[in-house]
Amino acid sequence: MSKTVRIAGGQGFYGDSPMAAIAIAQEGGADYIVNDALAELTLSILQKDRMKDPETGYAKDILFQAKTLYPLALSKGIKVVTNSGGLNPIAAAKKVSEILAAQGLKGIKIAAITGDNVLHRLDELQQGGEELANLDSGIPFSENKYQPTHANVYIGAKSVAEALNQGAQIILAGRVADPCLTLGVLIHEFGWEIGEDLSQEALNKLASGISIGHLLECGGQASGGNSYAEWPMDYPISNLGYPIAEVSEDGTAVFNKLDSQGGKMSRDTLREQLVYEIHDPANYMTPDVTVDLTEATLETLEPGKVKLSGVKGKPRPEKLKLTAGLMEGYMSDQFFFFSAPYAYEKVQKFIEGVKEIWSKLPIQIERSEFQILGVNGMHGSAAPTPPKEVLDQMNEIGVRLVVKHSDNRTGKMAFSSIICLGLNGPPGIVGIPGWGKQDRVMLSLWPTLIDRNWIEEKVEVVES
Amino acid sequence: MKTVKLIDIASARSGDKNNVCNIGVLANTPADYPTLQKYLTADKVKAHFGDLIKGKVERFEWESIEALNFVCHEALDGGASRSLRMDTLGKNFSSHLLRMELEIED
Repeated sequence: MSKTVRIAGGQGFYGDSPMAAIAIAQEGGADYIVNDALAELTLSILQKDRMKDPETGYAKDILFQAKTLYPLALSKGIKVVTNSGGLNPIAAAKKVSEILAAQGLKGIKIAAITGDNVLHRLDELQQGGEELANLDSGIPFSENKYQPTHANVYIGAKSVAEALNQGAQIILAGRVADPCLTLGVLIHEFGWEIGEDLSQEALNKLASGISIGHLLECGGQASGGNSYAEWPMDYPISNLGYPIAEVSEDGTAVFNKLDSQGGKMSRDTLREQLVYEIHDPANYMTPDVTVDLTEATLETLEPGKVKLSGVKGKPRPEKLKLTAGLMEGYMSDQFFFFSAPYAYEKVQKFIEGVKEIWSKLPIQIERSEFQILGVNGMHGSAAPTPPKEVLDQMNEIGVRLVVKHSDNRTGKMAFSSIICLGLNGPPGIVGIPGWGKQDRVMLSLWPTLIDRNWIEEKVEVVES
Repeated sequence: MKTVKLIDIASARSGDKNNVCNIGVLANTPADYPTLQKYLTADKVKAHFGDLIKGKVERFEWESIEALNFVCHEALDGGASRSLRMDTLGKNFSSHLLRMELEIED
C-alpha cells in the first residue's frame, strides 16, 4: 500500500476547545495536528496584547496546549503545526520551549515562522511604489485617515515545509494562510513542487492540499458542528470529534473522525464546510495556487469515511494579500428586557425615551441601532415583524441599544444618561450594566495586494 | 404552481470575508439541485435580505456538490469588526435564507 499521511484539524479559532485535539493525540489518530488560530480580526487583538507587553502577541491558547496537547502529541510522534504565533512567533516559540523544558521535555525542536508582519513597513512599501489600494473601494492607502493596528501579509506553505524539513516537531507561524498550514505538511511529506511554472499535475496536487486544509481549518465545523445538513444533529456535540484527513500522494484524501468521539463525518458535513467562506468556486485564491473546486467530488466510501478528489489547480496569483487593521473609533452597547403584558409596546416607548434623552445630551453619536430581541435582533429590517397577536403572546422581549462614536467616553455618558429610565420608564424592565460593554475599540479592515518580492519569510528553530 | 420551503429541499452555511457574506446552499438530494438552479436566483436572494445587502449578489453554480454559492457584497454593515449588528459575521444569513419559500411548477 502506498504511503498516506494523516492530518487532523485540531482547532478552528483562537479560544477553541483543545479537547478534540487531545483525544486525537491520545489515540494516536493522526501524524500531524494542524491548529488554526487566526481569523481576520485576531491579529488586531494580539497587537493590543503586544502593546501592553512586547513579549506577547501570540495566541495564548498555546500556554495551555504546551502543558497538555503538545507533550501528549510529542509522546506519540505527532507534530503540531499552527499559526498561533500570531504577531510574535519568536516569543511564542521561546515560551513553548520554556514550558516544555519545565516538564522535562528537552531537545524538542520548535520552529517560528516570521516575515508576514509589515506594520512597521507600511511607509517603506508606499515609498517603494505600492499604492496599497483598498481591494473593495480602490482608494489608495495614503487617503486612509485611521491609525493602523496591524498589517500582515498572507504567506504560503513554503516555510512550513522548510521548518519540517529542518526537523521541527512544533511549528508556530505568523499569518500563514489557514489552508497553507496543511499544504506545507503535504509538501514536506510528498515532496510536491511549489512555485512558478508548474505542470498541471503539480498544480492539481497543491490545489488538493489547499482543499484538504480548507476542510480541516474550522475543526468541528467539518464533522457535524454548526450543521443544517445534519439537523437535528442526532449525535453528541459535547465531545465532537474533529476531522482527520488521510491523504495520498496524488492529493486525494479520505476524511474521518475518531469513533470514540461525538459529531458525525458525512458527505453532507464536508459539503457544508467546502462552501464555507468561498467566493468563486472556480477561483479560490491562495498564496501558492489558485484552486478550482468546481469538479471536486465527495464520495461516501462507507459510513464515516468520505473521499475528496477531482480538485484542479491554476497558477498562483501574482500578488499576495495584505490586510491591515485600522483604529476607526469606538462602540458601546447595552441590553434591556421587558416582560408581558404589553412587552412590545413597552420596548417602543422605551426606545422613544432613549432617543429623546440622547438628543438633548452634548455628545456625538455617529450611528445607532435599536435591535428588538426576539423580533429583529439578528436580521434587522429583513426579519418579518410577527403579527400583533403573536407579539402579545410573547412572555418577554429585549432590546439592544448600540452606538458608534469617535472618542472613548461617549458610550459611558450615553448609557449613564438612560439609567433613570429604570424607574422613570415603562414598567417591567430588567437590565444590568454588565450585559453590555461601553467604549469598546472598533476596528476596520483594509484588504489590499502587494508584490511578493517585498516579503522575506524566515524560519528559526529553537530547542527546548 | 406549488409552494416549497427552501428548508425542505436544502441546507445552507454562511460566513464572512470583511464586508462580503457568502451563503452556500446545498440541495438535500441530487434531484433537488435542478429546482434550486431554476428557482433560487441571485435577484430573489437579494430581495429576501432587503436593506441588509447593499451591494450586488453573485450566484455561482457548483454542480459537483449540488450547491449554489451566493456571494453578497456590502452585506455585513462594513464588516465584522465595525458592524453594529448582532450577527456581525453573517453566520445567520444561512438561517434567514432557509426561511424562503419558492413558487415552483408542479
